Amino acid sequence: MSLVKDFTKGLWKENPVLVLLLGMCPTLAVTSNAKNGLGMGLATTFVLLGSNIVISFIRNIVPKKIRIPVYIVVIACFVTVVQMLMDAYAPPALNAALGIFIPLIVVNCIVLGRAEAFASKNNPIRSAFDGLGMGTGFTLALVLLGGTREFLASGSLFEIKVITPWSVDFLLPTQAPGAFIILGCFLAAMNWLNQRNAIKRGEVYIPPQGLDCRHCSLCDLNNNEE
Amino acid sequence: MTKIKDTENIVLLGIFLGVIGAVAALILAYFAQLTKEPIEKMKMQATNNALKEVLPAFDNSPSTDKITVKSADDAKIDVIFFGAMKDGKLVGVAGQSITLKGYSGKVKAMVGIEPDGKIRTVAVLPDKKEKISAVLITEQSETPGLGTVVCDRKRQKTIFSIFKPEGPEAKILPPNPILDQYAGKTAGKDPWKVIKDGGQLKYITGATISSRAVADVIYRITNTYKVNKKEIIAKLSGKAAAAK
Repeated sequence: MSLVKDFTKGLWKENPVLVLLLGMCPTLAVTSNAKNGLGMGLATTFVLLGSNIVISFIRNIVPKKIRIPVYIVVIACFVTVVQMLMDAYAPPALNAALGIFIPLIVVNCIVLGRAEAFASKNNPIRSAFDGLGMGTGFTLALVLLGGTREFLASGSLFEIKVITPWSVDFLLPTQAPGAFIILGCFLAAMNWLNQRNAIKRGEVYIPPQGLDCRHCSLCDLNNNEE
Repeated sequence: MTKIKDTENIVLLGIFLGVIGAVAALILAYFAQLTKEPIEKMKMQATNNALKEVLPAFDNSPSTDKITVKSADDAKIDVIFFGAMKDGKLVGVAGQSITLKGYSGKVKAMVGIEPDGKIRTVAVLPDKKEKISAVLITEQSETPGLGTVVCDRKRQKTIFSIFKPEGPEAKILPPNPILDQYAGKTAGKDPWKVIKDGGQLKYITGATISSRAVADVIYRITNTYKVNKKEIIAKLSGKAAAAK
């Protein structure tokens, strides 16, 4: 039961893009169409799954003092493997479009965030499910964002024209400002939905506690205060 | 002895990080070995596909029968020429080069040239009598929706055409009005210019820089071919003969 929860919390309740607001750089930069979003999402999911499992396995022997460098080495290793596999087997057009953002998965906050917040405290199986769930949530958000941007720009989805008479591209959604505007609309919709559901249940909507800066252990804010 | 997890011993920490790094290096070395060949193949395939589009039917392997020439202008950029042979005769040459004048950096083009220096015409569209030229932009990072309109030859897919069988037009290059205006052109003395700069080439409003970059790289290739024509033909024919 808790395994299912580990998986599903990444999809909605703690969605890395729409709730945690992590990994904004690839989110805004590569989602100019749905295909790029899907490619980026799958690559990140693979890295998350791999790094979560490995870090969970070594969590009891990694010295506390150097845990962050060790995690980064593990993550960088997986990212380089993904990069090489994509160079070898991915469609050249997709590879060219994702370009620099594949190596930059290393510094994606989601990956290190999950390693520190989840994988370093839980067993490998739970960590695997957490990584898969977070990755799937990331992929879904990216495809949704990319699909919306692509549809608003040219009336197509996954490079297939859905509205055939649409012949001249509308440029705003494919560029950075459009990305911010549409992401903002998504966040507003997400919050509104969560709040409405909470009110229906007769509760007050409280965002997940783990997202609060005081509850995150990444920068050891609590320890410094004490 | 304290547990390794809580150790503060700097030597131990260093050794631990070193071991982790070594293991990571081993894994990476293994994958690098594993993917070396497919990556090479992928790169070759991209060049081969572009060559097939811009060259007439050939029976040699143009991707290996190639020579590199410094461009005839002041920029001295490498231009690579690939030769297409049929029955021992040179039937076409493909030139590949780059320009740095794009809106966001490098624009790489592949141009099919007849042995006499004219840019090849791949096909004539039946309905519009419009020619499709053997010009391909193989690498660019222009603004999506503006610069890419100048560079892309994209086959439009619609929801109505997914399940339809592919017609004859699926086999020829998709048209692009900017790239197709070069069909049949030969390099003159002066570099080609877009209308805005007092030339005759059409350009896309909002993507003047990309249009200029494309004109620049295509002129560089054809002009370099024109200047070094004899040498290129002799060397390419010689290479193909030597390969046999």
